[in-house]
Order: sequence, then C-alpha cells, then structure tokens
Amino acid sequence: MTTGDDVTLDLDDIQSGALRERPSPYVGRYLLLRLDDVAQGRELVRRLHALLEDQRSASPSATRAWLTVAFTYEGLKALGVPPSSLDSFPREFREGMAARAQELGDVGESGPERWEPPLGSPDVHVAVSVLAPDPPALEAVAERARSRYADLASVAVVWRQDCYQLPSGRTSFGFKDGIGNPDIEGSGLVPRNSRERPIKAGEFILGYPDETGSLAPMPIPDVLGRNGTYLVFRKLHTNVAAYRRYLRDRARDRQEERLLAAKMVGRWPSGAPLALAPDRDEPSLGADPHRNNDFAYGDDPGGFKCPAGAHSRRANPRDSLESELTTDTRLHRMVRRGTSYGPQLPDDVLDDDGADRGIIFVFAGAHLKRQFEFVKTQWLNDGIFIGAPAERDPLVGAHQQPTDFTMARRPIRRRLRDVPPFVVTRGGEYCFAPGLRALRWLGELDT
Amino acid sequence: MTTTNDVPARPGVQVGSASEFTLFFTVLPGHAQALRDALRDLQNSPGYRPGDYEVPIASIHEARFVLFDDDTRLLFATSFDGPWDAYMEDFAAKPLQLFAAIFEHVEGFHGLPDVAAVKSFILGAQVSAAAYARNYPGTVKEHRRALRLAAAFQQVLDDPRAEEALSHPALKPLLDEASVA
Repeated sequence: MTTGDDVTLDLDDIQSGALRERPSPYVGRYLLLRLDDVAQGRELVRRLHALLEDQRSASPSATRAWLTVAFTYEGLKALGVPPSSLDSFPREFREGMAARAQELGDVGESGPERWEPPLGSPDVHVAVSVLAPDPPALEAVAERARSRYADLASVAVVWRQDCYQLPSGRTSFGFKDGIGNPDIEGSGLVPRNSRERPIKAGEFILGYPDETGSLAPMPIPDVLGRNGTYLVFRKLHTNVAAYRRYLRDRARDRQEERLLAAKMVGRWPSGAPLALAPDRDEPSLGADPHRNNDFAYGDDPGGFKCPAGAHSRRANPRDSLESELTTDTRLHRMVRRGTSYGPQLPDDVLDDDGADRGIIFVFAGAHLKRQFEFVKTQWLNDGIFIGAPAERDPLVGAHQQPTDFTMARRPIRRRLRDVPPFVVTRGGEYCFAPGLRALRWLGELDT
Repeated sequence: MTTTNDVPARPGVQVGSASEFTLFFTVLPGHAQALRDALRDLQNSPGYRPGDYEVPIASIHEARFVLFDDDTRLLFATSFDGPWDAYMEDFAAKPLQLFAAIFEHVEGFHGLPDVAAVKSFILGAQVSAAAYARNYPGTVKEHRRALRLAAAFQQVLDDPRAEEALSHPALKPLLDEASVA
C-alpha cells in the first residue's frame, strides 16, 4: 500500500492497468469473450482471478506480462449478477457505447451499424488485455490465459486484436502518444507535472474521494464496486495517407509541413510540447518524462505557441480555462492507455495502401460521463469552449463535414480549411474492470 | 456515499451554441428581505454592475434573478454556451458557490455539501423552456472578439487615410462594410 496526502489506495486489489504505467515498448493482445453459460462464465472468472492473483504476488522484476480483465454490462448480465446490482451501474455503462453513438459523434462511416462485429453488440461480455515486453512473453501469458478457458466450451473468443507500442512511442500519425496522463494522488508514482497538484485517486478508482470531495457513484454491493474502474476502448482507424497528403498540400515546404502537423497535435513527433518548444522539435525534451509533461498554457492564452484547438490542448486544456469559472478541468481528466495496431505506413508514403492501422484508444476512470464523454463531446467534437463552435479536433474530432483549424500567428492568423476526418471509429465498448476481491465475488456468485 | 443518479439529462433548449438554463426556487419562509438584500449586493459588486460586462462566469450571455409570487419564489434565467447538463458538476466547484449568499435563502441549498446535493438542487429547480429564441448566433467569446474587431475597424475608419487603405482589393469585404459601419 502507498500513502498519499490523505488517502491510502488498496493497490493490491486494484487491477494494475488503471494506475501503473506499462512497459515500453511492448506488444499486446485484446480478446473479447462471449459467455454462453452462467456456470462456465463464473468458472472463467475464478480462473482469471487466480491468474491476476499470481500476477499480483509476483515480484515486479519477475513480471513479464500484464493482464487486465473487464466486463461489459452484457457480460455482468451473462454472469448472473443480480438485477439490483446491475441497475446500480451508471446509465452510460448500462446503455453501452453503441447506444451512445449519436452523442459521441460515431455516425456515418463511424456508426455502430458499420462497426467491426461483434463490437457494440450484446455478444461482447468479457474484455481481456495482455501486454508484454516482447512477443515470446506475450505468447507465454496469452497461452496461460488461453489454457484457462480452452476447456470451457461455453466461452467463445469473439474478437481478437493485436497491438503494440513502438520503441519511439509513436502512433500511426507519427507522434509520440500517451504523455499527458494525470499524476494521481496515492499512486506511488513520481509526479511528472509540477504545475498541477496530483488528481484525487477517486477520479479514477471507485471507493475513494474524488475532486468534488464525494465518492464516485458506485455499484452495489460495495465489494463489487470498490477498487474498480471503468474502461473505455475504441478501435480507431487512422487515415494516415490522407493526413499526410493534406499536410503536404497545405505546406510550402517540408519544414512548414512539420510545423503544421505539430500545431495540429500540440506536440512535435518526439513528444516535445509546443508550449516548451514552440519553433522546432527537441527530441531530448520529448524523451524526458520529467519534462515533456511539465508545462501549462498560462503564458499562451492566445495560442501563439500551442493553438487553442490543437489536439492535446483540447484533450487536456490544463490551466487554459482557469479564469472562466465555468469548467473545473480537474473533473475531466482521463487516464489513457492507448496503443497502436496494424502496420505503420512507411515514411513519406502518401498513398493509402489499404491496410487497417490505427489506435486502440483506452480510457480508465471513475466517471464515463463527466470524463470520457465530456472530453469527447465538449472538447474534441465541439469548439464552443474555445469560442470556435464550427471547429473540431483536427485529428480525432467527429465531423461529417470538413472542419477548420485556426492557428494564432503574428501578424496574421493561419487557418487550415477543409480538414477532412482522419479517424474512423471501428467500434468500442464501455467496460468495468473490478478489483480483485470483486472478481472473486463475481466468480463465486451463486444466484 | 452517493448512489447512481439516474435522472435523465435535461439539457435545456439549445439554439446554436447557447442553451437556456432556467431555474425556479422556493424562497425560505422569512428570508424574502434578506434575499432582496443579497441580490442588491450582487448587483452592486464588480462585474455585475450595469455596464461592467464582466460577469465572472465567462460562458453566460446574460443572467437574471427574478423574485415573484410575493417574494416566495425565485427565478434564475440565463443563456449558457454549451449544454449546461454536461457542466453540472463543474458548477458545484465555483459558480454555485459564487451565488451562495443568494441561494442560502432558498430551499434545498444547505451549502451543497456534495455532488449529489448539487445535482438534486439543480435538477429540482430546472425547467426546460417551452420556447426559446436568440437574435444572434455565436458564443460569448466570439462576441467579445467581434466587438474588439468592430472597435478596431472604427479606429481605422476614423483615420483620414482609411479610404485609400481600404481600396486595396484584398480589403474589399471591409470596404463594403465601411459606408454604414
């Protein structure tokens, strides 16, 4: 256990994915399972619980893989969780991501009717993710997990997705990702952003005080909710060729192309933030975890260094909105555990090769609605909050029509017109990752 | 401990970027005069005085408090940039506390000790408009920018060299506005 300012987190009970950073680089696999029989489903949960217990008791240096287990609402139903308990989950979770599509902007090409089956369907019950530092370690742990359900005839693997993080940490768009995660009180990790007090653990883990001073709504019984966290995963196809071509067409030269790309992201490819490196990439800054997230926007309200509409500034405006009193940004933070899938498009290729590539976006938090859904709908898919209602996030915003992207610049601002959507939602799910005791409770249900 | 709040979202009627946000409260018995005093104090404080145009909550277009039914009821009506229900928990942190001196005279406030209290305070008072219209589009931020721009344009027009300067083809849209601006 680790002591924070005024909270002690039961780190042994919390599934490690929510609070712990992952090895880097790594390879991983997501599996979705369907449970066709309550008894076998519970047997599976008991076995997965045993695996997680083994993982917990292994010494950190011996840990070669990370397993995370989560359930959709349909999955909890398939396990025979009592109705009173099912009803105590928040509305968004009970409805599931597909039902929230309109709200989230998953329409048209990103609409659930076009999602990869079985994503968004009642067939998705259990989500298992396995991460390991290298392919042999991944195969070993995947095989261990597989052996736990192989003899269960009523447990079906309905979806599988391999993923990875490159040594550079860069995703298909060519930028290092996953830098801006919040420091969490009581996590035992060294804070990375000196400009921001660590966020209360209850914003991410159920059963602890959150930023409002309250506990996040928790499902009943207490043993089921405590130390749990909600996980969102979304498979996002990235149109990398279209993205590169767009930048090439708008830029006078390669140097300007790099600048436009950085302005859209809010960081340089190395991860160096524009707030600290406004004019050119600084790879040593991007690579330094103690510096690449240690900044704020207070000295740049107009967005001359980092545009107000840049992706990373939208997703985490830091102190940008402090003077407005409307928004408490600490209520809208997300732990992100995104990762890449599919082959990278080779450098300088501007034509689509037809390959499926992109990002598996993963969110962890205690509030689906005021964290993930708020950021998605108010900050990424809308521009009201920055006084540009017609603009969307230039990288991941949901827009059926092309959008604009404005960069403050002296003497005259620059505006990119007709930015097409570069990301297509291929599907996703809202899941609940219970604590270890809650997993045991689920496995031992006898309703 | 709070429990799941399952009241469906009632975002208010939205026109363009703004949504109406209308709350009806019941004044605590015997508090009418104190409430009137608190509203007068608010009206006289910096930002809220007529002509200040500096309401501390940056995303509301305007706001009014109205006492009615012989000072037994209080109306709060505003236009808010964005769907207000997405911001409900944000309101608890600062905006609602700004008005604590007022809301302490209405039923259900009790200092709003937690999120559940905030939600029930707001949802218990909010009524969506049956009709809502706006006479201009845009957010407060856009309007402030537009007004700054309009003032700058007036400065340009007041310069005797404006006509010559505005005759450049790139400035035609501005010249088109110049005759009546």
